[in-house]
Amino acid sequence: MLRRVSFVAAGVVIVVIAVVAFVGLFMLPRPGPLEGTTTKLHLETVAAVGSALEWPRPNDPHADWVSYLPTTTWTVPANSTIQVQIDQEDGASGLRNPFWGKVFGTEGATMHVTFFDDKGSPQESDMTSIDPTQAAHTFAIPDLGVFVPLLGVNPNAPANSTNVITFSFKTKGPGRYRWQCFVPCGAKTIFGNGGPMQTIGYMGGTLIVT
Amino acid sequence: MGVFRIEEADRPHMWRLLVVWVILSVAGVLAVMQIHYPPYDQSIQGQDQARTLALLTALATPVFIAVVMLLLYSAIYFRRTTRELVDGPPMLGNTPIQIAWVAISSALVIFLAIFGIVTLSNESVAQLVGAPGRTIGGGQTGGGTTGEENKEIHVQVIAQQWYFTYRYPDYGGVETTHLYLPVNHPVELHVTSLDIIHSFWAYQLGVKADANPGVDNIFHVTPQKAGSFQVRCSELCGLWHGSMVDSEGQVVSQGDFDTWIAQQQKDFETIAKAVPTYAPYYFPEPLTKGS
Repeated sequence: MLRRVSFVAAGVVIVVIAVVAFVGLFMLPRPGPLEGTTTKLHLETVAAVGSALEWPRPNDPHADWVSYLPTTTWTVPANSTIQVQIDQEDGASGLRNPFWGKVFGTEGATMHVTFFDDKGSPQESDMTSIDPTQAAHTFAIPDLGVFVPLLGVNPNAPANSTNVITFSFKTKGPGRYRWQCFVPCGAKTIFGNGGPMQTIGYMGGTLIVT
Repeated sequence: MGVFRIEEADRPHMWRLLVVWVILSVAGVLAVMQIHYPPYDQSIQGQDQARTLALLTALATPVFIAVVMLLLYSAIYFRRTTRELVDGPPMLGNTPIQIAWVAISSALVIFLAIFGIVTLSNESVAQLVGAPGRTIGGGQTGGGTTGEENKEIHVQVIAQQWYFTYRYPDYGGVETTHLYLPVNHPVELHVTSLDIIHSFWAYQLGVKADANPGVDNIFHVTPQKAGSFQVRCSELCGLWHGSMVDSEGQVVSQGDFDTWIAQQQKDFETIAKAVPTYAPYYFPEPLTKGS
């Protein structure tokens, strides 16, 4: 009798230990630090897609529309650092909400800008915000908390000048994130929010995080 | 044409239906009272809405069960047994039954009307919609509401294609990208737009308000449970309307709110001078670009 009880007790103890070990081994491991890759994203913002300096689309049905180029669908890896370079060729038209003149969500909450001053001389600087009236466009991915104002090319800059804005941000998990411009830059449309602002492929698109 | 009356042969049907209806109604009412009705109870106003939904559902349940039960019972027990088409006996009506259903329906409607009036008179619900044009908080340099438990916090909700931002005039007019509210503290929301018509919908808080350019739309809410809530636009507003969502709204403790708003004020300093002073509403500027 005692022997049977001992076997049963031992069996119960073994099962309990096995269950605890199984659950414990399942629960305890933690994923290591996410070692995402660094991806470069090179974009161009232009006043008219037909006359872009780098990636012109002269046969575009709306050759005079503002746009991001060369594409508005960007695929990047998850949990990674994305280094962005935007060659900004358009002039300033101003933000409707000046609040977006501040840089949000980039690493260090800053951006590096090469630009031209009022004398037309090249300058460069790290910036955390710009004068909202001098914004040409914004690079914004709301669901990632990324909002970057893009300084307009100074009218005194030499012809075909480009401001170069560089910054980096981190992606989250896989998914589709919309991006958009917050400057009402649809020329000759009511409130500036028509045309390229309401058409995918110009001032809005999708960031595909895989 | 005869007067409608329940024949002796039909009385078993009547009693059977009555007993089944009572049992199903009691069970149905008990069941629907277990449902957690939207928008739940994260705010006092949301809880009132959920309670009203629960009451309406509970009152409607016996009626719904009666209709469905009579329909199914008749289809099963009184279905035509031959292929011959025969009219039923013509009937004029039955005064007691007519008086009964008119009286019961009237009682239900009058009860709901009284309940609605009392609910609307309730302070929390009556506060939900306020009068336009009242003075806003402590202006641009106010220090907040710490220590003033009953003073409402003013928050301006600014819609634009396609995102909401928030200004806190009681805290120096700081503008933020997410909506944070302290728990158990009344809040006065001023909803407006910078471009076209949007609609601010904080679902879990039970608040939905149109956001029109040039209009200061005032609503009141008192969060009573800490946690996250979602803000979305509920007015079709263009290309990215479906993405005009912010899932990072938070109801937090007063201490956490004070810490958060202090950090927001610090972050805001870099752009504060460029942001115009607080105004109850704005008009779209510029009207057009490049024309």
